[in-house]
Amino acid sequence: MAGVLSGVYNTLIRSNGVFLSTIFAGAFATEILFDTGSNAIWNRINKGRQWKDIKHRYMDAGEDDE
Amino acid sequence: MSVSRISTAVARSSPRSLRAAAPLAVSTQQQRSMADASTSHAGFTSPFHRGTGNARDTTVMPNWGKYKTGKETSNKVFQYFMVGTMGGLSALGAKNTVQDFLVNMSASADVLAQAKVEVDLATIPEGKNVIIKWRGKPVFIRHRTADEIKEAEDTKWESLRDPQPDTERVQKPEWLIMVGVCTHLGCVPIGEAGDFGGWFCPCHGSHYDISGRIRKGPAPLNLEIPAYDFPEEGALVIG
Repeated sequence: MAGVLSGVYNTLIRSNGVFLSTIFAGAFATEILFDTGSNAIWNRINKGRQWKDIKHRYMDAGEDDE
Repeated sequence: MSVSRISTAVARSSPRSLRAAAPLAVSTQQQRSMADASTSHAGFTSPFHRGTGNARDTTVMPNWGKYKTGKETSNKVFQYFMVGTMGGLSALGAKNTVQDFLVNMSASADVLAQAKVEVDLATIPEGKNVIIKWRGKPVFIRHRTADEIKEAEDTKWESLRDPQPDTERVQKPEWLIMVGVCTHLGCVPIGEAGDFGGWFCPCHGSHYDISGRIRKGPAPLNLEIPAYDFPEEGALVIG
């Protein structure tokens, strides 16, 4: 445990530039995870009610027309 | 106990009587420490005392070893983790605030959908002009003949008022697409007219050639070329 923590400290935190880069990379990853996750939840709750779910009922005939 | 209370009261009340009361005060001090030891079992040794004696020594460096944690690394990592998380969340919030403002300023989907015009080029025969409306302005589409292309390309464009070669004004030489607004004062020029076989503006007499370049008259610039694209053969999207 202590070895892991000191490894984390030495690799990520000790240098300010690396620490800052880690923060921004983490923020970026967090945003992607949050967006994908919340969209997945929304799509699961509204399954069958969205346009992309019922589009095939109306669009298969007139494919050339937008 | 009552004796000590009286003696401290005396000591506080008058400095003049302090000298007389001094021996009494010392004796009561001893009495109190004895009384404290008898009534309480809590022991306290000040960190500013040397050894076991009660004499104060301000040069003593207190030993804080008792308060030291044995988990320095994990505590540091935890603190920096909290600081970093706070910074990361703030960065996310700031980024999203800025993004919301920028998205708010950009054109909405319905506006973008109306900003493009699709034209079927197969219906335009060679040597004909078509005028369509795009964003409230007329757009000239000219299907040029081989002679017109040759004429447009062979013109000595370096000496024109707004020098521009024909290759800069067309993507495909047979299709000339321009905004049909005279660059002088905004009239709509007439096609297949004028001294140079192109367009002629009736308002103040500007002559444009078959590449839409200003050749004679008051207009300062060539006719404007909109952004357009040929997504497939025979189709044109303006915008």
